[in-house]
Amino acid sequence: MEAIWLYQFRLIVIGDSTVGKSCLIRRFTEGRFAQVSDPTVGVDFFSRLVEIEPGKRIKLQIWDTAGQERFRSITRAYYRNSVGGLLLFDITNRRSFQNVHEWLEEARSHVQPHSIVFLLVGHKCDLEPQRQVSRQEAEKLAAAYGMRYVETSARDAINVERAFTELTRDIFELVKSGEITIQEGWEGVKSGFVPNVVHSSEEVTKGDRRCFC
Amino acid sequence: ASKKAASKRGKTAQRGSSNVFSMFEQSQIQEFKEAFGCIDQNRDGVINKSDLKETYGQLGKLNVSDEELESMLAEGKGPINFTVFLTLFGEKLNGTDPEETILAAFKLFDPNATGVVNKDEFKRLLMNQADKFTAEERIMMAQLENGRLSDDTMSVRTLGSQFDEESSFGSDSEINGFTSSRQIDKYGFIGGAQKYSEESAQDVPLEVLRHREVKWLDMLNHWDRWVSKRFKKVRLRCQKGIPPSLRGRAWLYLSGGKVKREQNSGKFEELDSMEGDAKWIDVIERDLHRQFPFHEMFVSRGGHGQQDLFRVLKAYTLYRPDEGYCQAQAPIAAVLLMHMPAEDAFWGLVQICEKYLPGYYSAGLEAIQLDGQILNALLKRVSPPAYRHLEKHKIEPILYMTEWFMCAFSRTLPWASVLRVWDMFLCDGVKIIFRVGLVLLRCMMGTREKLKACPGQYETMELLRALEPRYMQEGFLIHQVLELPISARDVEREHRVQLKRWRKAHGELSYKSPPRMHGAQAIMSAEPHSRQDLRQNPTIVVEYPQPSDTKSESTRIKKRGTIRKAPIPLDVPNPYALSTDPKPDPLNKQAQDTASNNQSSHPPPSLQQSLLTTPEKTSAMKEEPSSDPPTAVIPTPDPSPNLSRTPPPPQTSLVPIPIYPTKLPHSSNPAIAAEPLPITKDSGNTNNSAHLKDSPPTTDSTPLLPDDAPVNGNSSAAPRVPSLRNSCESVGSEDTYL
Repeated sequence: MEAIWLYQFRLIVIGDSTVGKSCLIRRFTEGRFAQVSDPTVGVDFFSRLVEIEPGKRIKLQIWDTAGQERFRSITRAYYRNSVGGLLLFDITNRRSFQNVHEWLEEARSHVQPHSIVFLLVGHKCDLEPQRQVSRQEAEKLAAAYGMRYVETSARDAINVERAFTELTRDIFELVKSGEITIQEGWEGVKSGFVPNVVHSSEEVTKGDRRCFC
Repeated sequence: ASKKAASKRGKTAQRGSSNVFSMFEQSQIQEFKEAFGCIDQNRDGVINKSDLKETYGQLGKLNVSDEELESMLAEGKGPINFTVFLTLFGEKLNGTDPEETILAAFKLFDPNATGVVNKDEFKRLLMNQADKFTAEERIMMAQLENGRLSDDTMSVRTLGSQFDEESSFGSDSEINGFTSSRQIDKYGFIGGAQKYSEESAQDVPLEVLRHREVKWLDMLNHWDRWVSKRFKKVRLRCQKGIPPSLRGRAWLYLSGGKVKREQNSGKFEELDSMEGDAKWIDVIERDLHRQFPFHEMFVSRGGHGQQDLFRVLKAYTLYRPDEGYCQAQAPIAAVLLMHMPAEDAFWGLVQICEKYLPGYYSAGLEAIQLDGQILNALLKRVSPPAYRHLEKHKIEPILYMTEWFMCAFSRTLPWASVLRVWDMFLCDGVKIIFRVGLVLLRCMMGTREKLKACPGQYETMELLRALEPRYMQEGFLIHQVLELPISARDVEREHRVQLKRWRKAHGELSYKSPPRMHGAQAIMSAEPHSRQDLRQNPTIVVEYPQPSDTKSESTRIKKRGTIRKAPIPLDVPNPYALSTDPKPDPLNKQAQDTASNNQSSHPPPSLQQSLLTTPEKTSAMKEEPSSDPPTAVIPTPDPSPNLSRTPPPPQTSLVPIPIYPTKLPHSSNPAIAAEPLPITKDSGNTNNSAHLKDSPPTTDSTPLLPDDAPVNGNSSAAPRVPSLRNSCESVGSEDTYL
C-alpha cells in the first residue's frame, strides 16, 4: 500500500495571498495547472514522493497555507512541525517581495525551538514582461538570509521540480550530517524505517484478540 | 396607440447600475438565458443567421428571407451574444410581468380553467370596463377575431422538448475564452463543477413544488406572524427545501436581512458609492475571479457577478471598517449573489457575519477556533471512534473544519446539498453547520474498518479531504442532519465549556463578538421590526401618468382595500391548481370567488389594476415593420412556458391552451409598483412534440422557453403578448402583494 521511503519531511509553503502557493503545490503534486483556484481557507495539505538519489525516496508532506494575514493565527500553528519551507513571492508583485522579511519573522517566532530550512521562490516567472522584482535583487535578499533562490512558474512548469527537490536535498544533507535529528513529538522529519503498516497490523491483532476473549 | 403605449410604459426605474443584468431578476435572466439557448441552435454562444433560420424552421416557418434575418441581426451592435441579447430585450421588456402574473391574469378571464377565454366575453370586458379600448385598439381586436393573433401559441412548447437536456444552457457572452459548448447545470455551474451530478440532487415533483411555492408566498406575506406563531411550520418547510424560485427571498427574510435593509434604506447605496480602503480593495480584487469560477455568473473577469461581488464585499469593509475583509466571506457573498441582487446579498452577508457566525471573519479568527473545539467535543458524543481517532493522531479540528464552517459548506458539498443546508442553516442557525460537520465525520470515520484504512495523521486528513459523494448526497445528508440530536442548546452549553478552557489556555478573547443567534426566530425577536419592514418592495417600478377619467376606479379600489383589512393575496392561490390539490385556505378561496364573481359584471379586481403595454416592436426579432402601429405585432416571450411546466387543469388536459395575446385595459393607477414573481427555473417538462396534443407534463427540468422566436408560423408576424403589470395586486391598500 505505501511506497517505501527513507524519510518523511514536512514542508510548509508560505507567502502573500495570490502569489501562487496552491498552484505551485498542485503543479508539483498533481502535475497540472489550474487557471483559477479557490483562495485557501485555513490550511490544506498535499503529498508526493521525491527520489533524491537512485533508490532513495523521500516522502514530502506539503502544507499549504492561506496567504491572507487574517489566517495567520491558524497557520502559525504549522510552522513548528515543519522541517522545510518554501517562501513564495510573486515576481510581478513588488509588495509580495517586500513582505518576505515579515514572513520570515513570522515563521521564526513560531518555529521555536526548531528551525526551518527555507527556500526563497520567485513565482510566476513566465510573466517576464510584468516583472517587478529583478533576479539579482531577489538573489541578494536570499543570500542575506542564507537561503537559496529559485524562480518558478507553475503555469509553464518551470523549475517546479527543482525547487522542491533542491530543498529536499538540502534537508536530507542536514539530516545525514546530524544537524537535523528525528525527535519524538516532532513531525518535521520522520524515518521511513518505521512504516505505518506496522501500526495498523498491531491494531488488527489487538482487535482480533479482543474478539476472541 | 403605440405612442400611447410608449407613454404608458413610462420610465422604468432601475437599480443604480447600468448593467443590463441588474435590470432583471435572476429568474428573469434565467428565462432569457433559456430562450437564448433555444435560439442559439449551434450552441456557439452567438445568435447568427443560421440559428434564426433553424429556429424559424422548427416553428414551421421555412420561407424567411435572408434580408429579414439580417435586419433582425442588425439590431444588435455586433454579434448577438447573451449580453447583447439581454440588452436588446431588456430595453423593450424591462417592466413586463413575469409569466406567472400573466397566467394568473389569464386565469381571471378563464375562471373555469377551460384553457380558453371566451372571445365575446373578453371583448366585452375590454371595451366596456376599466380603461376602455380605443377605436384603434378595436382594430387589433378585429384581428384577434380573424384569428390572426390567436394562433396556437402552444407550438412554442415544442421547442422546449428539444432542449430538455440543456434547459439552462446559455452563454454568458462575458465568458472570456470559454467556448460555451460546455454544458451548464441547472444551478449555473459549467461542466458540472461543484460536484453536481444528477444523482446528487433530489427532484421534487412539479406539483409539490407548486404547492410549496404557494405556501411560501403565503408565509412571506405574513412573515412576522408565521415566525412568531408558527415557526415550527416554517422550519419544517425549510427542511423540506425552499422552492428555488423563492429561495433568495426566503433567505433574505429568514436571515433578517430584509428588515435590516428596510431599516437602513439607502445605506448600501451610500456604501456602494464610497471609495473603499485601498488595503481591502486590493485583497478583495485579488479574490474576485476565484469564487466559484465555474459558475456562469462568476466565470468572466469583471463580469456582472464579479462586479457585484466586489460591491458587496467592499460595502462590508466600509460598513464594518474594524472587521474589514476576510477571504472566507467571499464565497458566502457569492452564494447569496446567486440568489439575490447586490443590496440584498449585502444585508444577507451582514446578518450571517453578525448573527449566524459572529466573529468567524474577525481578526484573530478566535470564533472559528472555538467552534472547532465545540465540534470536537460534540463529536465525542456523536461518534466516539471518530473522536478518539482524531485525538490519537493529533488532528486538530481547525485542520479540517475551517473551510467547512467559514464557507458554510459552500465549497465542500454538491450544490443541491449546499442549497438545502443553507435553507436550514438560515432558518435554524449554526447548529445546522455543526450537524453537517458531525454527520460527515461520523460517516467518514465512524467504523473501525474505515479507521483502519487511515493509520496515520496524514492518511486521516486525506480521508477527510476526499469526502465520499454518497455521504454528501442531498437526500442522505439532509436526512442524517435532521436525525442528529444536536440542538442549539447543546451548542451553547458546549460553547460555555470551551470558552472557559480557552480562557484558561489563551486568556480572554481578544475580539468580543456579538452573541450568536440561533436562527430566524431568535433574530427576529432580537431585532424589532415593523410590518412595513417586511413588505415586499418591488425592484422594478414603472410609473404611469394618471388618466383623469379613471379616478373613480381607483377610489373604488381603495375603498375595497380598506374594507378588507388584510388584502387578499390574489396571487397566492395556485393558478394551476389541480383538482386534487388541497383546498385553498379560506382567504385564498375568497379571493378566487371574488375573482370569478366579478368577472361577468365587472372586471375582476386585479384586472382593474392590470396594465398592459400595447404591442410594440421588440427589437431583436422584429419582423417586417408594419405600417399600422397597432397591428405591428412582434414575436416576444410567450407566456405559455409556464403552462408547459404545469399539469394542465384536468378538464383540459388534452387540449392545448391557447393564449389570446391581447390588449387589456390600461391601468388607471398613477404608479404601479410591481415585483416580478420569480419563476421556478429548474422544473417543468413537456414531452409533447409539435403535434402532440398537450400530454400532461411528466417530470422536470424544462426550459421555460420564454421564446423570442415567432410563435406563429403562418403569419409574418407573431403576436405580442401583452404584459400585465401587477395584475394581482390590490393597489391602494397599504400592503402590497408578495
